[in-house]
Amino acid sequence: MKTIFTRFSVLSLLCLLLFNVASAQNINVKGLVSDSQDKTTLPSVSVTIKGSTTGIQTDANGVFTISAPANAILVFTYIGYTTQEVPVNNQTTINVAMVSSSQQLEQVVVVGYGTQRKIDVTGSVASVKGEELSKQASQNPVSALQGKIAGVSITNSGSPGSAPQIRIRGLGTIFGNQAPLYVVDGVWYSDINFLNPADIETLSVLKDASAQSIYGIRAANGVVLVTTKKGKIGAPTVINYDAYAGFQKVTNQVKMADASEYATLTNELSTQNGGAPVFTNPASLGKGTDWYDQILQNAFVMNHSLSVTGGSDKSTYNISLGYLDQDGIVKTNNYKRYTARVSNDIQIFKNLKVGYNVTGVATKSKDIPLTIFHQLYSASPTVPVFNPDGSYGDPNDQHLGDGANFNPQATLDFFNQTSKEYRATGNIYAELKFLKHFTFRTSVGGEFGQLEARTYAPVYYATFAQQAENSTLDLKRVETRNWIIENTLTYQNTFKEDHNLTVLLGQSAQSNRSYAINATARDVPYNSDADLYLRLGNVDDRYVDDQASLIKFASYFARVNYAFKNKYLLNASIRADGASQFYGNETYGYFPSVGAGWVLTNEDFMKNQTLFSNLKIRGSYGIVGNASVPVNPTQALIAQTANLAAIYNNVLYTGASRNTLVPPSIVWEKGIGANAGFEAGFLTNRLSVEGDFYTRKTSRAIFALPILGSLGTIDNQILGNQADLQNRGVELSATWSDKTGGGLTYSVSGNIGYNANKVLNVSTGSNPIYSGSTGITNGYLATRTVAGDPIGQFYGYKTAGIFQDAADIAASPAQSGAAAGGFKYQDLNGDGKITSLDRTVIGNPNPKYTYGVNTNFAYKNFDLALDFQGVAGVDVYNANLAYRFGNENFTKDFVDNRWHGAGTSNTYPSTSIGSSANSAPNSFYVSSGSYFRVRNAQLGYTLPKTILTKWKIQKIRFYANAQNAINIFGYKGFSPEVGPVPVNAAEKISNTLSNTTLNGGLDANVYPLYATYNFGVNLTF
Amino acid sequence: MKLNHKLYSKSVLGAGILIAASLFPSCKKEFLNVPQQGQQQSEVFWKTAEDAGKGVNAIYGNMRSYENTAFPAIAIESMGSDDAEKGSTPSDASYFLDFDTFTIDPNQGNISGFWNGQYRNINYCNQVLDNVPAITMDATLKAQYLAEAKFIRALSYFRLVRSFGAVPLRLTVPLDASEYNIPRTDAAQVYAQIEKDLTEATEALPASYAAVDLGRATKGAALTLHAKVAMYLKKWNDVLSYTNTVMGMNYSLLPSFESVFRIPNENSSESIFEIQCALVPGNTAASNSQYSQVQGVRGARGGGWGFNVPTADLAASFETGDPRRDATIIFRGETTPQGDAIDPNGDNPMYNQKSYVPFSLFVNGFNEGAQQNVRILRFSDALLMNAEAANELGNSTQALSSLERVRARARQGNASILPAVTTTDQAEIRAAIYRERRSEFAMEFDRYFDVIRQGRGATVFGPKGWKAGRNEVWPVPQTEIDLSGGILTQNPGY
Repeated sequence: MKTIFTRFSVLSLLCLLLFNVASAQNINVKGLVSDSQDKTTLPSVSVTIKGSTTGIQTDANGVFTISAPANAILVFTYIGYTTQEVPVNNQTTINVAMVSSSQQLEQVVVVGYGTQRKIDVTGSVASVKGEELSKQASQNPVSALQGKIAGVSITNSGSPGSAPQIRIRGLGTIFGNQAPLYVVDGVWYSDINFLNPADIETLSVLKDASAQSIYGIRAANGVVLVTTKKGKIGAPTVINYDAYAGFQKVTNQVKMADASEYATLTNELSTQNGGAPVFTNPASLGKGTDWYDQILQNAFVMNHSLSVTGGSDKSTYNISLGYLDQDGIVKTNNYKRYTARVSNDIQIFKNLKVGYNVTGVATKSKDIPLTIFHQLYSASPTVPVFNPDGSYGDPNDQHLGDGANFNPQATLDFFNQTSKEYRATGNIYAELKFLKHFTFRTSVGGEFGQLEARTYAPVYYATFAQQAENSTLDLKRVETRNWIIENTLTYQNTFKEDHNLTVLLGQSAQSNRSYAINATARDVPYNSDADLYLRLGNVDDRYVDDQASLIKFASYFARVNYAFKNKYLLNASIRADGASQFYGNETYGYFPSVGAGWVLTNEDFMKNQTLFSNLKIRGSYGIVGNASVPVNPTQALIAQTANLAAIYNNVLYTGASRNTLVPPSIVWEKGIGANAGFEAGFLTNRLSVEGDFYTRKTSRAIFALPILGSLGTIDNQILGNQADLQNRGVELSATWSDKTGGGLTYSVSGNIGYNANKVLNVSTGSNPIYSGSTGITNGYLATRTVAGDPIGQFYGYKTAGIFQDAADIAASPAQSGAAAGGFKYQDLNGDGKITSLDRTVIGNPNPKYTYGVNTNFAYKNFDLALDFQGVAGVDVYNANLAYRFGNENFTKDFVDNRWHGAGTSNTYPSTSIGSSANSAPNSFYVSSGSYFRVRNAQLGYTLPKTILTKWKIQKIRFYANAQNAINIFGYKGFSPEVGPVPVNAAEKISNTLSNTTLNGGLDANVYPLYATYNFGVNLTF
Repeated sequence: MKLNHKLYSKSVLGAGILIAASLFPSCKKEFLNVPQQGQQQSEVFWKTAEDAGKGVNAIYGNMRSYENTAFPAIAIESMGSDDAEKGSTPSDASYFLDFDTFTIDPNQGNISGFWNGQYRNINYCNQVLDNVPAITMDATLKAQYLAEAKFIRALSYFRLVRSFGAVPLRLTVPLDASEYNIPRTDAAQVYAQIEKDLTEATEALPASYAAVDLGRATKGAALTLHAKVAMYLKKWNDVLSYTNTVMGMNYSLLPSFESVFRIPNENSSESIFEIQCALVPGNTAASNSQYSQVQGVRGARGGGWGFNVPTADLAASFETGDPRRDATIIFRGETTPQGDAIDPNGDNPMYNQKSYVPFSLFVNGFNEGAQQNVRILRFSDALLMNAEAANELGNSTQALSSLERVRARARQGNASILPAVTTTDQAEIRAAIYRERRSEFAMEFDRYFDVIRQGRGATVFGPKGWKAGRNEVWPVPQTEIDLSGGILTQNPGY
């Protein structure tokens, strides 16, 4: 241990990370710190010398050694325990028994621009410890949050390196990426994919408007505060090494038709469309090719994290390295991430502290074409992967047409795309304490990122539809250049013992720029990757384009926290935000908040009761803003695109004109929220319960509304303040933790959130907003948003069965395109014919209930964690079923249940399901999206201390972990979680500046769910 | 470390404040005044002659769009006719069958696609017509620009009115939301506006251009389109007068009918108006026409998707020996004049030869046949309209003379085929002209609405499901009715 310590000290010095300041002459005091009740030793207890900043921490065995003046007073502090002061009085051994305090009282949570005792918080803030997150097998810290916090729902997307979707208390905003604001050590980010979960100390989710509003402008979708691990003053060097290896395995796979089934159905479809059968003898074709088996794999994953933490009496440091190597579930897909992080805090003078942290990330991804997933879903099982002569199986030989005219193996084999991302981010700060009660802090943060994707399409021949006589090299690169400067002045004082006052004043300025460039060259030769340069392509056949966005914010904020006798709490804040997206009078938005709390257990009249060990009620109100809108949306722009260039005499001439409509004015979208809650601890805090009721109005929500095609715009939409929305809900979470006489320590916690979404009014007045028109709904508008209903409900016909024959059609209300085997729609208005007036609400994509149960058990050296999680009260629209161009494959479920002659089915249509009459949005495509999942199961074993002491190792723990191993749902698609569609790096760049519409719950997802199984080790030296 | 505490603390405080102050860039007002990056603002556009020219270019550029030339146009303007059927493989894009059999649902995406595509043309025209008049520039050029916009606007409204009947009439760019949602204007009024635009366009457009401007709308184009519009309105005197003028201009029929549709003969002396398309190296986005691709020979590299294929009925409709049959239809197993051997076992028996581009011109990565111009108005149309108008007005001599010019070229010197029509009976001449139109313009997206304006929809298309009183027009897109909140009404029977 000593040699390692020295080695790392030297290393640290080389890195200029450590400022070691020699101490004055003192005596050495040793001791042991333990719990006063169960006598267990307490590690990481902070031991400081009163009146100085010198201090250390107890080691893993609760032992401390500190050099202190003989007349000094030692201060022992530890979260959850009452602080003790012990005079040294020339003693060289001081053993201390710490008394457990009411946990709620001393617990500290991270809030905006600082920390607060949990007891002082009047809003709704939920915290998760870093180890809770890094323990899971998630590569992204956000995805590990799933099921952990009431009211926070996470939807993961399939491909390695892609970010999950997070929603806090329902859908609050519609435009933009809907991601919350992430603040990592004071720097603002829109995603935290770059963070190694092992580097996180705590993660706090600010759930209500009063807690969020100190981040005014960007808080509309919630705020996630992350503090990263830091060394501790005087703590010995600790080296942590964590590693796991495992694999990902596809689960809940949708079964597809085999070759003979496919051939049978394809013949049926062809016959119904008036053609001849495509296959002469379907039964002879057998099973054919299972494309999922052919292309998917059990994907290997491996992760290593190494960190070194420590501190002298003047400075602390934390250095960490991470390496992730993850295969995708599609063969050839691989993602590697290297992370390095350094943080260093130095007490330069008694009242001046400076510090910095820097993170460097490099990722390298061997990408796959994401069309491969839809190809696996639609590829014909009658096509062999390879012919006997070794050539690719060609669907064209079987005249299958466009829907299935590809060989997925060839798609994968001739796709060559590598993407690399480099990102450096961090901040540097100085903190000055003066005049006893004041702290001035200035902080400069920055981020520079570059993501590059190089795609090479070679000259090749695989199948008729998959061949190229020319090669193409495509280069896409996006750069992020952000900076943020913040200055805060804090005044903190306690008057007459009873009045705690904290006042914060602050200023912030930031700039976010993204710049994307895209270039293509043709006929680039290929001998090795060293040839992949645009300059080697044809000189007369090159393409280049770029785009950028630049947004700046200037903000001023203030906050007052006041507590009287720890009983009555009052918090108030205001933030003024200027955003460059808005012009003129609308540039600045103002975001106030106020909160109050009452700690009943600190009242005299509660002194004698024993039921509550803690009881607090609180209420708050606040306003937040949404800056996730494009720059100056009222400014009409001129389009100068290649498709507008005129051709005269075969020469191209630039064309430009205006082809969009902009609103005359646009105002800030604001979230106005109120929250009332309670926190209670029972039975000496073995049971803690927290409940919240909230209501949140999204006022003047900004999003694009579909507009009349006759306006002639290119996008058929107009941005504006289109609606007022409301989310109301209840959240309840409870934790029971205890210890049995037999030595079993355990905790069980559960959380549930209920959310009801309602549209209060829409800009179209009594006319609903129709949306959801995408390729996957064959151009139909599948959702409707109308005042009084939840946002974006599915809208369409109700099916009354399937037309069995001509007589059935004749006997039913007149329906355009009616055919035997087609859907029979309900004539809701009873006018004897099926028209658009017969459409109605057929489902609600907004989840009502989200819940999670998290358990931890520890017995002797074993520990077990089981996490469950689910969603209920939500509908999903399976848009894949009718998204057909021709002879795509069918699901096994469809094969087994389809109509194929009078009397064969009255629920499933014939193979003509993709016809325009059958693909009209209707109730057949809507089903419940509720699910329940065993999110995580982990069993660990820690080697006994006796062995470890011999090996001079503090801790060795082995574990096995299973994530998403069991998923239960009735939905017949791949997953009822309709999350973000995974994109590879090149697509991510193309989508940089795009926006979303009201398409929630329309499932076009063809990405299989997968479970992850890992084995890992945690080592501490 | 033995600093004077107070002094040091003051100086650090001072330094801190200095640093803080220097880091307050947001105090400057212009900090937040960030222009959009890489975007041209509308208010600084429309200032110069170059801007006006670009605005006009955009009109022509958009004419190549998918909505103007590919699936939506096929669905609305071709699939209903007896000349064409879906093509490709039976299950591929089966919604075309619903157009072919008149069982279409108003939600079908190609209906709104066609509607939106025409209104996009109209928007680009209105942008020019609203903004160019105020630009200080050469008066003649300005008049020409405005006339070009009026011509395309008239063409777009003509395509709309014959497809949907009454449609919202937008003649300016809407200024604010009060002008967004407007009701349908009577077909008669839409036609009146089309005629007004064409009259004004005819006055200002030049009869021809220098080579660098080849492809812009000409006086002849405006006159011929006006004649066609007048023909749909049965204004026979107008048809006769406009076509007489066109026949006095420098147009002539090419000797070979087949060659009219090949790349080297684009913008020939027979051409009155074409949508200009090209394959521009390094620019797939500008080489965006899919007109030829979607109709191209299936299963051939450089061919296409094989939609909108000729029917057996069309193949049988040609007079014996009419060379236009082989020039209009690519038959499975044939070798084209350009030497492409068509697979005898291909998916479809016939393909459209008028959109055909020889396979050798295919460039990997581009749409097949991206080079092919779309022939909108040909001189033979002016001749046959002239014949029809003369016949309707009782002048059989002129009728037969104009008809014979078309037949004579089709004959290509072979005296044994396509005998001259000699009857003087008005009804017989009319029938002969109708037949001639079919043979001459087959697969050129003319037939469907031509038969309807002749009043023969039920006779000709009835067996396919066409019903009088309903199918004269297609349904208004349901998405459009939904978005109008009921301001727009549906056509009867849908």
